[in-house]
Amino acid sequence: MTITFKITRRLFAAVQTDLLRRHAFAAERVGWLICRVGDAFDGNLIVLAHEYEPVADADYLDDPSVGAMMGPAAIRKALQIALSQRASMFHVHLHDHCSFPRFSATDVRETSKFVPDFWNVRPELPHGAVVLSRDAACGRCWYPGRGQQAIGEFVIVGAPQVRVSEAYEKQTRSPKLSQA
Amino acid sequence: MPPAEALSEIQAICPGTTPMQEAGLEYIFLPGLKLPPGRTPAACDALLCLSPREGYPTRLFLSAQLYDRGNNWNTFHILGRTWYSWSWNYVPSSERPALVLAQHLRALR
Amino acid sequence: MKNRLARQSFLKPESDALLGAAKVALVGLGGGGSHIAQLLAHVGVRNFVLIDPDVVEDTNLNRLVGATAADVARATRKTDVAERLIKGINPKARVINVSERWQERAELLRDCTAIFGCVDTFADRAQLEVAARRYLIPYLDLGMDVHRLGDDYCIAGQVILSSPGELCLRCLGFITDELLAREAARYGAAGGRPQVVWPNGLLASAAVGLFIQLVTPWSRNPVATAYLEYDGNSHTVKECSRLTIMRERVCHHFDSLDNVGDPFWRSRSKTPPKPAPSHLRRLLSYFHVRLL
Repeated sequence: MTITFKITRRLFAAVQTDLLRRHAFAAERVGWLICRVGDAFDGNLIVLAHEYEPVADADYLDDPSVGAMMGPAAIRKALQIALSQRASMFHVHLHDHCSFPRFSATDVRETSKFVPDFWNVRPELPHGAVVLSRDAACGRCWYPGRGQQAIGEFVIVGAPQVRVSEAYEKQTRSPKLSQA
Repeated sequence: MPPAEALSEIQAICPGTTPMQEAGLEYIFLPGLKLPPGRTPAACDALLCLSPREGYPTRLFLSAQLYDRGNNWNTFHILGRTWYSWSWNYVPSSERPALVLAQHLRALR
Repeated sequence: MKNRLARQSFLKPESDALLGAAKVALVGLGGGGSHIAQLLAHVGVRNFVLIDPDVVEDTNLNRLVGATAADVARATRKTDVAERLIKGINPKARVINVSERWQERAELLRDCTAIFGCVDTFADRAQLEVAARRYLIPYLDLGMDVHRLGDDYCIAGQVILSSPGELCLRCLGFITDELLAREAARYGAAGGRPQVVWPNGLLASAAVGLFIQLVTPWSRNPVATAYLEYDGNSHTVKECSRLTIMRERVCHHFDSLDNVGDPFWRSRSKTPPKPAPSHLRRLLSYFHVRLL
């Protein structure tokens, strides 16, 4: 099964703008993409980002060992959104470099802890995590009953449309997110 | 969204009823709604639209088209699924949803 | 063999691959849709979803690109005419050909790069746009009409690009509740509307041009919204004044999360998801992290 993550250009720009803001002590900012999903007719999953909810400044924990650490309030608010809005929640943050990002060891450890939390409130929906760089993206999706899987492609819908995936980049040399 | 009391009234008729909306229009999703006796199919999913659309103050959409009742059936795409409805107009939205539903179903008797 | 797209290399080197990878849905393969099918095949699009329930009739021959007198005699499906046209230009094109109402096969639209709506009714247009927005797909609408004014006739047409997150057909005043109600009240009284070939070609070309600037990086200033009005009497195409007025506004017709994705989605896996650790263990794990 291939997973495609789609987001409008308008929303993507808003997310990048927020994630690039400085925080009083955290080195990075994080937030949540509030999504719904659908299946393509061939069974592949399409994740559709609709809104962005930044983690409030007060909900970060001061932990210099990591770029950003969410406190329990941040998770609780996100769980509430998932429950009340029947949403698939995707954690998002930015690695400030060019080219394809990778989940760091911290990212892998932490997302593996808190993403399955969302199955306590919305066990029927996929949830996940996305990492942006200046010009690309990667992500993982936790699919109910199947565990986690890499997101195969990102699509920024707008003018121009931008498709980002490592495989696609090799095939098309398509413009990256820096042109989004 | 209809008030909770009105919703629970319609849920008594059709368990699993859920309010939904699309492009500013309000619907009530009725899974496995039982149709009037003698109809084929005997039950199907339904959407009761409580918002005015295309000149209808309310409208009932079914997941299956009936061939022996109703005139001028048309096909619709709502909430990501295929639905069918017939010409049966002027059922006002001022009534309770359960009564609105009953008036639409009367056309299929 | 020469690269058959060599003359469009100004679209940037990656454009051939981008167009080849794009998947385009054409809903309606009549006068407008048949033009678009031809144009897209020429420009290098390779993946098509063609949806139209109708067959070719003799009154179509004044404008249905690719249709022949033999198609009338055989009652050829319009989607078959379009597929023949496309594959005559590019035999390697992949075509999903569906001779049904689009509402009954809408799942085929979900992974498309763009949807062209070349349909007859405002109701169809409104529903197609909603379906496109549900999967964050740009929707391009085109249509033409001939109006009688006294003893004269006016030819008019439009091309509209509606992108998710941007102004929609309602924002642009193209779809209104009054129009939909009037159209529904005319049900059964609709006859063969006047249609001619040349406005279709002009509108189709404009629509394809808008698609190309969405999908390829050739334009320095691509637009996500467009509303072009064709006046067949003064032979002009210009931006609709409504868009000029509305351009800086934000669409609120699709604000709700319910407008996105499949509201009835179910996992295809039969295994229930693995529950997260207990609440106490979660709190302890956070506490443990803070101590590091």
